[in-house]
Amino acid sequence: MNLEVMIRAMNRSENRGLWLLLGLLAVFSLGLFLVPAFVIRPFRHQSERALGLAIAVKRIAPTLTVAALAGTVALGARLWRSSSRWLRTGIVTALVLSAASAVMVRQNYFEWMFNPITAAGFVPAGNAHLSDKEMVMAVRIGQEARAYPIVQMAYHHILNDTVAEIPIVVTY
Amino acid sequence: MARGRELHFYLAGINNQNFLMRDRETGSWWQQVTGRAIAGELAGSALELMPNDELTFGWWKSEEPHGLVLAPVKGHGDKDYNRKWEEEVAKYPVPLTFPGQGLKDRDVILGVAVGGQSRAFPLAKVRGASPIEDKIAGVPVVLVTGPDGDSVRVFRSQWNGQDIELYRDTQNDENSDGHNDGQSSGWRLLDSLGNTWNFAGCATSGPAVGQCLEKINLLKDYWFDWKNYNPGTTVYSH
Repeated sequence: MNLEVMIRAMNRSENRGLWLLLGLLAVFSLGLFLVPAFVIRPFRHQSERALGLAIAVKRIAPTLTVAALAGTVALGARLWRSSSRWLRTGIVTALVLSAASAVMVRQNYFEWMFNPITAAGFVPAGNAHLSDKEMVMAVRIGQEARAYPIVQMAYHHILNDTVAEIPIVVTY
Repeated sequence: MARGRELHFYLAGINNQNFLMRDRETGSWWQQVTGRAIAGELAGSALELMPNDELTFGWWKSEEPHGLVLAPVKGHGDKDYNRKWEEEVAKYPVPLTFPGQGLKDRDVILGVAVGGQSRAFPLAKVRGASPIEDKIAGVPVVLVTGPDGDSVRVFRSQWNGQDIELYRDTQNDENSDGHNDGQSSGWRLLDSLGNTWNFAGCATSGPAVGQCLEKINLLKDYWFDWKNYNPGTTVYSH
């Protein structure tokens, strides 16, 4: 991509402000996805402030990315006719970035790494294929007892269960 | 459950190597280790911690022959259920460091919180000596390593309003069959009142027969994580 040609063409255009806005919207969308993703990288330190920011951004990102995508579409449509092929590539790039961000902020990539248990099955203690040395998390509520093998919980991390009619969440 | 509502949780992020979860009902953000909501509609509320144990399967089965065990989840095998996982995690860098109390950041401790005070018991120390008697916030507690050598429980060492001291009846060990399969019937604790106690904390003979000590939850954790959420913690050092 020849940046100089693109900039010259943009300068000629009367729509410089709109181009700037288009670029900002695309960067803004991408930021809504990337900033929290960067803050909550595994194995890194998260300060309270950074975590607060990441969560705040994650909470508003689904709405804001759609708004930004709508803005990108509107601006792109407006600028399309007067644009050269190079500039249209720019419009498409902005659209792709905004759309990708709107999709990504709706994805839970932590669950891609650690799949959730959607339907838990249980076996009686006597039928379980576990060695006696295997560590389990154990709960007893009323007359009901449950064991959750740690080797499984260390991967899935979370299990929503109901024991003796009490809703519990098992975490490891 | 929080504020009378039933909630369902899913994995949502990570905070200093302790995960964050969200509930489907309100989208609030919760810290796993504390059970507290840190953002969203339910911020400030806390989940109730249920009495729980970390035991060997063999021991658990001996106590709960009619219990149910979580079955392997379809589509997940040895690749995901990595038995070397803990060894691997031990090599990762730590996001926080708390020197000065004699422990390394990734030392495994058993954390006990009683009456607003908390104490970390280095696992290596607990393994070497059982039972361990201590007092936290004036409450007498005892950490007991079970007959299997791996399961640990904490009890309030008080019966009938008086403090009791528990010790192993090592002479009786020869009555056990020598296997760590939960069938070690000879294993028992004694006290000065003439009671014998099993690993469930219940008296099997003596004046307290049929009664059980109050069980206290413990958390097996890395030192840095425990210290992060229990900044006032002391470290057991006898």
